[in-house]
Amino acid sequence: MTVTSIAPETVRSDPERTRRRAEELFDPDLSPVLRRLGQRPRGAADAATLHPDDAAARADVADMLVELGFLAAGEAGPAVADLVEVAELIGSALYQSPFLDTVTAADLLAADPRYDALRTEIAAGERTVALAWREDGRGEPHHPAPLRLDAAGRTVTGVRRFVAFAPDVDLLLVVGRAGVEDRLVLIAPDAPGVRLRRQDDIGRGDLYEVTFDAAAVAAPGSGPAGERYPQALARARIRHAAYLAGLASGAIELSAQRLRDRTAFGRPLASMQALAFRLAALAAETTAVLAFAREAAQRADRGADVRLAGAQAAFLAADVARTASAEAVHLHGASGMTEGCDAQVFYRRAAVDASWLGTPTGLRIEAARLLAAGYAAEKRD
Amino acid sequence: MSTTIERDPRLTVAQERFRDDVRSMLAEDRVRRAVDDVAVYRPDQEAAHLDVYRWLGARGWLAPGWPVEYGGLGLGPVESAIVTEEMALAGVPDDVHVLSVDIVGSFLLLEGTEEQRRRHLPAIARGERIATVLFTEPDCGSDLSALTTRAEPDGDGWRLYGSKIFNMKSRFGDVALCAARTTDSGVGMHGITLFLLPLRSAGVHIEPVPSMANDRFDLVVIDGVRVTRADVVGRVDDGWRSINDLLQLERTGIDFHAKARRLLDLVIRRAAQTGRLDDPAYALPLAELDARLTAGRALSWQMVQNLAEARPDPVASAMAKWYVTEQFRPILHTAMEVDGLDGALSAWDADAPGLGRLEAQYRLGPVHRLASGTSEVMLYLIATNGLGLL
Repeated sequence: MTVTSIAPETVRSDPERTRRRAEELFDPDLSPVLRRLGQRPRGAADAATLHPDDAAARADVADMLVELGFLAAGEAGPAVADLVEVAELIGSALYQSPFLDTVTAADLLAADPRYDALRTEIAAGERTVALAWREDGRGEPHHPAPLRLDAAGRTVTGVRRFVAFAPDVDLLLVVGRAGVEDRLVLIAPDAPGVRLRRQDDIGRGDLYEVTFDAAAVAAPGSGPAGERYPQALARARIRHAAYLAGLASGAIELSAQRLRDRTAFGRPLASMQALAFRLAALAAETTAVLAFAREAAQRADRGADVRLAGAQAAFLAADVARTASAEAVHLHGASGMTEGCDAQVFYRRAAVDASWLGTPTGLRIEAARLLAAGYAAEKRD
Repeated sequence: MSTTIERDPRLTVAQERFRDDVRSMLAEDRVRRAVDDVAVYRPDQEAAHLDVYRWLGARGWLAPGWPVEYGGLGLGPVESAIVTEEMALAGVPDDVHVLSVDIVGSFLLLEGTEEQRRRHLPAIARGERIATVLFTEPDCGSDLSALTTRAEPDGDGWRLYGSKIFNMKSRFGDVALCAARTTDSGVGMHGITLFLLPLRSAGVHIEPVPSMANDRFDLVVIDGVRVTRADVVGRVDDGWRSINDLLQLERTGIDFHAKARRLLDLVIRRAAQTGRLDDPAYALPLAELDARLTAGRALSWQMVQNLAEARPDPVASAMAKWYVTEQFRPILHTAMEVDGLDGALSAWDADAPGLGRLEAQYRLGPVHRLASGTSEVMLYLIATNGLGLL
């Protein structure tokens, strides 16, 4: 596969400094609190409301992420290498917010200079954006769902599902196939013709079905997703892989603590090799995935083609996140199933997050296609 | 090209140039011919004193991290890893390099006397001397605290008695780093001393132990060879500590990754040639293995970077070694799916694809999870030192 330069300049990064700063926010003592923020009662569906204290705490953390400067950067946006550090800590804490979607939206919007003013506002933390690219749960972001724009391109009709934090953000960025190209469309969630319905999902979070009925496109109008789209999606997948690696390490740490605390058959579970080795293997897999995400991020910041790396890192991370969280429930025994145990929170969140930017199978198919194309190009060379 | 090693974003311009130079030299016809020759060696032949080592040694590339006075280039762990990686990617047999440079050479650099270094390192760095490792015994492998080779006091020195097995290349070696018990305190880890044992001594008897791999193991019986304090590497009775410290330091996973990558590239190319890469049933597992090796390489290079910054991480090193070597099994199994029974044809069969390399690799496969600390030892290190378990 030929390495294509997407961003002309190398994006400056300082991952170690970024991590130190982010660790101040995602302190291990605070993480258990953060991961419970925003959970809704099971089956509450559209009637679920967020406790005001939770909403305030969640907003405070979001403000801190902005104040720490994680959204601000040069013209090319924040460095992926910096953001993987933040994403990993967010995953470990299971903190839910529009932050990562907003970062991706800013990256996608860089395809069209008409969005520059909005990107400046995003970098300043003045605007948040949710991504809306699926018509249904089987949709894969590398094949955005069809989009119906009117002839003048001023209104949109259709539906998007699994849109996170739709009522809480300033704008929805709808990505869709219109004619022969993928387009970006901004719509305010409270615009006339927009209807929101909270989806009752296993993560009990903030996913919405958004129905557009001739909903007005926000200024400056729709724009082409362009060649930037697959690379921006790949960069999002790299960040998401780090988030999932963080989720896995949070689950592993919880499990290790359980093994140290719990006694069975007259000795600590921690002394049992069968259990310890399973966790050790998961820890190694998680560390490898994070190393992959970090290296891919550096390559992305140098303008390399990271489509293959993005897909691969994301499916490896999805696998380890699901397995580590399932292992966390198992190692906690029946108590792992209880509402009071964080192991089941990791387990339920991983079910959603593992497919957030593509199902692991969809990502594998995409990676296999890119790999075969690379070898075909090699044969031609 | 995704299937070859891209430039590492962490490398400096000089390091990238160094990699280019090493890669160019290893791509020369004479090297490719030498590598192909090894692939079709007769069953009784095996790689030892290869010209490739001397060609690399002549440029100081066999041990680029060593100081100039010992035959290196005074560079660092990154350049050493580059050579290791490029050699493996080019298919150059690396057992002699790992044993002589990476293990024995590193012990001498860190723990050896000046006289030992001057006597052995320049010749090793030139590719003219082979140094091997005699740790494992018939009754002790991973648990070296159980070793029984004795160093019996003899005047101002010792006489060594014991048997060492499953070592490689000792038949071709000049000297070996030999672990023997100098003090029997009842505590297995205490009382082990490392000696430089001249392999061409009257009291050293070496015989090959055939294995299913191309290269044979060696059984080395040591019968009263006399050694003195000048032959001790490190401190008397302190061998356990230095073995553990150094093996953990040297365990980056770089060498294992590069061998796995060369193997996977071979398999993917076969899949591309035969059309199986267009079939998702084959392409999906290959894409997964490609991803796993990319992850393993990133982790391995992070370990190299840690060494270069003098902040080694033994737990993460164990993770790198474990993770990378766990990929050999699925790669080999997938390889046999891609080629079917053709993959089972050996280099001595005219119909074997790719000079029978796949068949040879299949036989060699189990060694990677055993060598340099078994997978279970790696998991033990991660579980104990990393997770606070066991």
